[in-house]
Amino acid sequence: MGEYKMNKRNRTLSGFIMHIMIFLLILPLLVLVVWSFSKSWPWPNIFPQEFGLRGILHVLDPSSRALKSLLLSIRLSLVVTIVTLILSIPAAKTLGVYSFKGKQFIKMLVLAPIIVPPVAVGMGIHLTFIRLGLANRFIGVVLVHLIPCLPYGIRILTDVFEIIGESMEQQARVLGANSIQTFTNITLPLIAPGLISAGSLVFIVSFSQYFLTFLIGGGRIITFPMMMFPYIQSGDRMMASAYSMVFILATLVVLIMMEKAIKSYYSTKNYFYL
Amino acid sequence: MKKTIKPYIMLLPAMTILLGIFVAGLSMAFLQSLGYFPTIGLQEFTLNYYKEVLTDHGFLTSLRFSLWIAFVSSSVSVVLGVLLAYSIVKSKHKKGLEEIVYKLPVIVPHVVATLLVYNILGQSGIIARMAYALGFISQQSEFPALLFDKNGFGIILAYVWKGTPFIAMVVYTVLSNMNNRLSEVALNLGATNKQVFWHVLIPLTMPSIFSSFIIIFAFSFGAYEVPFLIGPTAPRALPVQAYAEYMNADLRHRPYTMTINMVLTFISFLCIWIYHKTFKLLNKYNG
Amino acid sequence: MIKEKKTIMRKIILFLLIAGLILNLVGCTQEAVVAGENEDLLETNWESILEEAEGTEVNFYGWGGSQMTNDWLDNFLALRLKEEYNITLNRVPMDIDQVLNKLLGENQMNVTGTADVIWINGENFSTARTNDLLYGPFTHKLPNFNQYIDVESVEVKYDFGFPVEGYEAPYGKAQFVLVYDEARVEQVPKGHEELMELVKNNAGKFTYPAPPDFTGSAFIRNIIYDIVGYEQFITMKADKEVIAKAIQPAMDYLNELKPYLWRNGETYPSTIAQLHNMYADHEVFMTMNYNSNEAAARIQTGEFPRTTNTFVFENGTIGNTHFLAIPDNAPNKAGALAVIDFILSVEAQASKYNPDNWGDLPVLDNARLSDSERAIFDEIQIGKGALPQHILLDHRVPEMPANFVPIIEEIWMENIL
Repeated sequence: MGEYKMNKRNRTLSGFIMHIMIFLLILPLLVLVVWSFSKSWPWPNIFPQEFGLRGILHVLDPSSRALKSLLLSIRLSLVVTIVTLILSIPAAKTLGVYSFKGKQFIKMLVLAPIIVPPVAVGMGIHLTFIRLGLANRFIGVVLVHLIPCLPYGIRILTDVFEIIGESMEQQARVLGANSIQTFTNITLPLIAPGLISAGSLVFIVSFSQYFLTFLIGGGRIITFPMMMFPYIQSGDRMMASAYSMVFILATLVVLIMMEKAIKSYYSTKNYFYL
Repeated sequence: MKKTIKPYIMLLPAMTILLGIFVAGLSMAFLQSLGYFPTIGLQEFTLNYYKEVLTDHGFLTSLRFSLWIAFVSSSVSVVLGVLLAYSIVKSKHKKGLEEIVYKLPVIVPHVVATLLVYNILGQSGIIARMAYALGFISQQSEFPALLFDKNGFGIILAYVWKGTPFIAMVVYTVLSNMNNRLSEVALNLGATNKQVFWHVLIPLTMPSIFSSFIIIFAFSFGAYEVPFLIGPTAPRALPVQAYAEYMNADLRHRPYTMTINMVLTFISFLCIWIYHKTFKLLNKYNG
Repeated sequence: MIKEKKTIMRKIILFLLIAGLILNLVGCTQEAVVAGENEDLLETNWESILEEAEGTEVNFYGWGGSQMTNDWLDNFLALRLKEEYNITLNRVPMDIDQVLNKLLGENQMNVTGTADVIWINGENFSTARTNDLLYGPFTHKLPNFNQYIDVESVEVKYDFGFPVEGYEAPYGKAQFVLVYDEARVEQVPKGHEELMELVKNNAGKFTYPAPPDFTGSAFIRNIIYDIVGYEQFITMKADKEVIAKAIQPAMDYLNELKPYLWRNGETYPSTIAQLHNMYADHEVFMTMNYNSNEAAARIQTGEFPRTTNTFVFENGTIGNTHFLAIPDNAPNKAGALAVIDFILSVEAQASKYNPDNWGDLPVLDNARLSDSERAIFDEIQIGKGALPQHILLDHRVPEMPANFVPIIEEIWMENIL
């Protein structure tokens, strides 16, 4: 009885901590939303003096081509996400389940691209991309986005594979399933939650790339961050906020749809393991 | 035979990309840092660029500044992130909305994070305005200069704002994938919540916490956007220094850029290695 | 039954996913840029250039941080080019140092690039020229250039002291102005002495961006001009000691001013954007601009208070011209020539001068305009907070040679910071 009370108190405390922290994380975003509709907001007013739609109208105006670049960005990042996941699953399984020579080294190598500044890799590879005819092209940008994305995909899925292990798959094999059946019916549903978080993160990393896109895309691939960055740099707070807000909303919509898609895809399977 | 090759075959696709683009790009950068850049007529290998860069006082100040930013921001993010993930798991509240909402900063790019920090913490930011409204300060300049300051407070905060939910997300994913039974068993055997936290949950989530720490440490150490936008004029963060050299129209400056990049790379690898060792020790101790 | 349906659905989704992926990756590889043969373009006549330009795509690379500028390019220029020549204008927001970096890389590899028109001036132009990155000389090919531009004018012949030699065409003119809030500044200073007095009486309310910020650097040059005059710099050698000696009075002035600046001059805003925001937030009562009409635009967008106005020193402020150039490896040089020529038309320059669109000063020579053409410019209402063209032109002094700028910035950092 006493223990139950303790638990309850702990839970209330946890809830309290959670809400405070979430509030602090969200507050800046609320200010951002207000800024994107603020025509005039001088010091020391806590609320804007005048609201306006200049920013949001500009983003939505077809002639500014912001929406066009948004769609291109989404398409690009979805392609990057799918390619990353396809490459990551076998690599992550290997790193998470098997033991082999050179495993530690490869684990470090996989992590390396997110440590090395993209400037070094990007500029080093830029000339090669030009030589191979990959620069200034969609496919070139996809390839270069894989560099910061792969480590996230492989890392997260490796963690998942480490936890689930191989026993479930081995059981299926013992029961007579072939390797494709085992993969689609056992492995994929098991790692589905990991796929969602890896996919989301990879999408985010690709979606917010700026430097690599403009370097390799050379201005032929104009993504949304490329339209947004100049406004943040030039300090037009309303425009920068409006772009940022649309950016965040678009990411949310894509992520939710992605999560829904993966979940519905495997919902029929899940009850087997509950 | 088949068994020994299998892991390598499964790694092949990802490795092709990593070696073909990443290692190749890095090798070019490395060659240029050694002064080998035939496209502009530099053909001789030399260590002079390293000598010059490593003995430069400005470089050392920048290095210290970058290490400070990366270390403080990642450590704070890890502590707060684990706390957040744990509190969400433990909280009795219905979780629908919170589970999505806390992830929001993860999807916000770093450049936008600087805009947010500017809007909140700047001397005309919302906090300064509230301080004024409440009578704590009588004019803007009385509000402490948190941005563009020599301790990198604004930069650190931008990274913490981004890093905390990232850590929380990774830890939370592992916690919710984890079999709940393990902690229940421990609780039934008479362990306190605290004991379950330190002896069951933390060791199990340690690999993820550890790798996420490395990720955000390395990122905040090597990225130029945030210190570029809200960092002080001096000291300049190392990546900002590299970027400035890189944008120099005189291509003969390129070896300096690449030298700085190589130092950044080397130190990042060093950090991973150190933490890797620490982690191994930790595992031994726990086991 | 239901289960079977699900499996089929899953297979269909999977198929679509893979098909889409392949289409995406393969389809887009065909977007390769085809390089036109432009070798003797400058030998042919204008009609055939226009013919070649018709129906093509032109990539316009330039700074993308101003909504007004972007809107003018997207709404006016792109639309009119489509109507006139069926040219599709792609605006690419990219900083000029990034563009130069790209061109330098491409130049090393000797490949066709992607930029057709680039927005450039000053030091960047001299960098581009010394690295042989530009195509030309091309300006003599443009009918509108020959008809409306005063080729003998210093501002067309030189760009920050660097000879243009037909490798870039003027695009617009900028002039340094100081921006103030009428509600908080009672008496506008006529020169550096009155500015000192004003700042001393209102400690903490004034500052300028630290170089290498472009506008902050221009402010320092303006102070130098106001104190020691500009004539001597035209013939001066780009030698640090010589320059340091010449500008010493200005450095003394800035040092005297320093303790009365925002935050006692211990730190400076690092960008003009930051100073603008500080002004918008009433943190300081003055800001500055190298675009004489931008303050008016910012009043209109609501960023600046309505009591904002601009002024120039009695001895004048620095003006410069910004230009358009064509990279040597541009894929569509004919299109680039057609676009630049159109920008030099009365219609485009007038539209650009209108503060509702952008507010950039025109580059056409007044003497070469017909009466009706001049009337088009005269009819344009410049906004509140902007100075009329004739006042600006009467108070305009030329820029220093580009290679003086980094030297002066260095001296400032050693003496003031």
